[in-house]
This record gives sequence, structure tokens and C-alpha cells, in this order.
Amino acid sequence: MAELYRKMQLARAYVPFQQYTRRFEPFDGLMRGTIFPELFMPYRPKEMIGRSEG
Amino acid sequence: MWLYEKKLQYPVRVSGPNPWLAKNIITQYGGPDGELSASLRYLTQRYTMPIPEAKGTLTDIGTEELAHMEIVAALVYNLIKDAPLEQIKAHGMDGYYADHDRALYFVDATGNPWTATYIQSKGDPITDLYENMAAEEKARSTYEWLINLSDDPLVTEALRFLRMREIVHFQRFGETLRLVQEWADRKKIY
Amino acid sequence: MRRDRRELLLRIMALDFTALELNLYLDTHPRDARALEDYNKVTQELFTLRQEYQERYGPLIHFGHGFSKYPWQWIEEPWPWEMTF
Ligand SMILES: [Fe+2]
Repeated sequence: MAELYRKMQLARAYVPFQQYTRRFEPFDGLMRGTIFPELFMPYRPKEMIGRSEG
Repeated sequence: MWLYEKKLQYPVRVSGPNPWLAKNIITQYGGPDGELSASLRYLTQRYTMPIPEAKGTLTDIGTEELAHMEIVAALVYNLIKDAPLEQIKAHGMDGYYADHDRALYFVDATGNPWTATYIQSKGDPITDLYENMAAEEKARSTYEWLINLSDDPLVTEALRFLRMREIVHFQRFGETLRLVQEWADRKKIY
Repeated sequence: MRRDRRELLLRIMALDFTALELNLYLDTHPRDARALEDYNKVTQELFTLRQEYQERYGPLIHFGHGFSKYPWQWIEEPWPWEMTF
């Protein structure tokens, strides 16, 4: 990680590379919207803090 | 060229006629951060992408966005096809009805027609990829506001699927950006 | 749509989605041998399922990608936006 930071430059955005290890079963993946567990980030409106609608 | 596969990417279901919801969801058909904008943006930027990974990513995500456009169209179509005129009036969709009946047209939630000014193709691949990452975030936010608005749990399922796709696309554009940055750095050295 | 047809179509949709996800991943990770092996495995499975579906219900993809019985099955309803799952 320190090595990665040294190589980073100012005024640039960096997204880390995904490393594929496992996936959801096909139908499960379709229902979730991704087959990759590490990318599955469902929307939970109630958890949003500081929003007027709660 | 492109091929058509006679199926949706995601099994769309709706609980019943709901012109009010259709009127809002249609923004992901023809609105600024909608699927038509997404698809056309990537499919036109791909010609000036410098590396094979970027050409592939823009072609494939641009194609997937066409499938998303079809999902949104299927939602809107099924939400208005059996809606009685009284309901269309009561739900504030009478203005849309005056111009299009129950047909599909590219407009946002307040009726503004789609325009090419929603997208950009800059010739600088790094600039274009930043635009695409921002576009995915804008689409994700729109789906979240639509999920907040939705009063049909079956429609919400499809909206959640489409929202998740924007996160995956953001990741892929982010990786593509890294690869193009490395390519640009190599070019500077030699 | 009849139940067995719907179930077969859903299996194709699910596998199709796995193939699409692996495809997008491979676009930015072309040297990931495991993902590639998985992609080819899913593609093989998809090929078999598509053939089974097309034999029973007609072409799933147009322009020379699936056989049709008489009369021309491609235009048979329902179209994707008319299907209820
Ligand atoms: Fe997207």
C-alpha cells in the first residue's frame, strides 16, 4: 500500500483494481445486480445520515 | 454491428398501472443521466480510446446500457399501458398523454426532450473517462431518488438492479482510467 | 408464458448475466486466467441452454444466430417488454 502511494501523483483520481476470487451463483447474482461479492453495495435509505427525509 | 437478443437483461415486473411512477421513471429513459445518454456517450467516445482495454470497456458497457434502456422502457410501458385516462389525469401524466398517448418517448421527469448536450466526447481519453465515472455516479443517485419515490415494490427491485450496475460500471471505468493513465505515462517517457 | 419456458429463459438470463459480468471484468483484466477459464465455462453452458431454448421456442437471437421452424418464428409474441415474470 505504501508502495502504491509513492507511485500516486497529485491531481489524479485512482480506483483500486478489483481482484476476482469468487462469485455469486448465476441467479443470485442477477437478483443482486452483480456477481461479485466485493462490489455488492446495496442501497439502504434509512442508513443515510444528515438527510432531511431521515 | 449489433445483434438483438429477444429477452430482457432483468425480469421486469410491475404491480399494476401507475402513471405517476412511470412519469418519474421515464427520466432514466430520456433524461440527462438516463440510459440513452449513457449508451450513446460511451458508444461515441470509444472511437478515440487509445488502448484495447478501453475500446472493449466502452463498447461493452455502451451495449449493456442499451439493455438498461430496454428495461426502463419495459417498466414505463407496463406501468401505463392499461392505465385509464382518469388515472392518467389524476396522476399528472395528462401533458405527456397529449403529446404521446401511451407511447414511449425520450423525455425527463418534467417533460424536457433528450438532447445531445447531455453528453460529451472530448477527444482526451482521460477527460472522457472522468466524465463517464461522473455519469455513473449521477445515474446511481437518480436511481436512489427513484427508489425513495417508488410505491411499487416490484418496480423497486428493478431499480435496485439498475443502481447496482452503475457501481460496477464505475469500477470498470476507474480501472480503465488507471490503464489509460499508465499508457499516457509510458508515452511521455519514450 | 408457460412455466417451463419461463424457467428455462430465467436460467439463460442468469447465466447470460454471469457471462456479461466476467466479460466486463476481463476487459480490464485480460490476463486473469481464472476469470477467463470461468468465462469460457459459462459460455459453453450458455451455448447448450440457448440451443435447447431455440429448438423449442424459436430464435433467441436474429440474423443467422438461431434456426426457425415454419412459419418464421422470430416474430412470434411475446416480445421482451410483453413478458410477465
Ligand atoms: Fe451504467
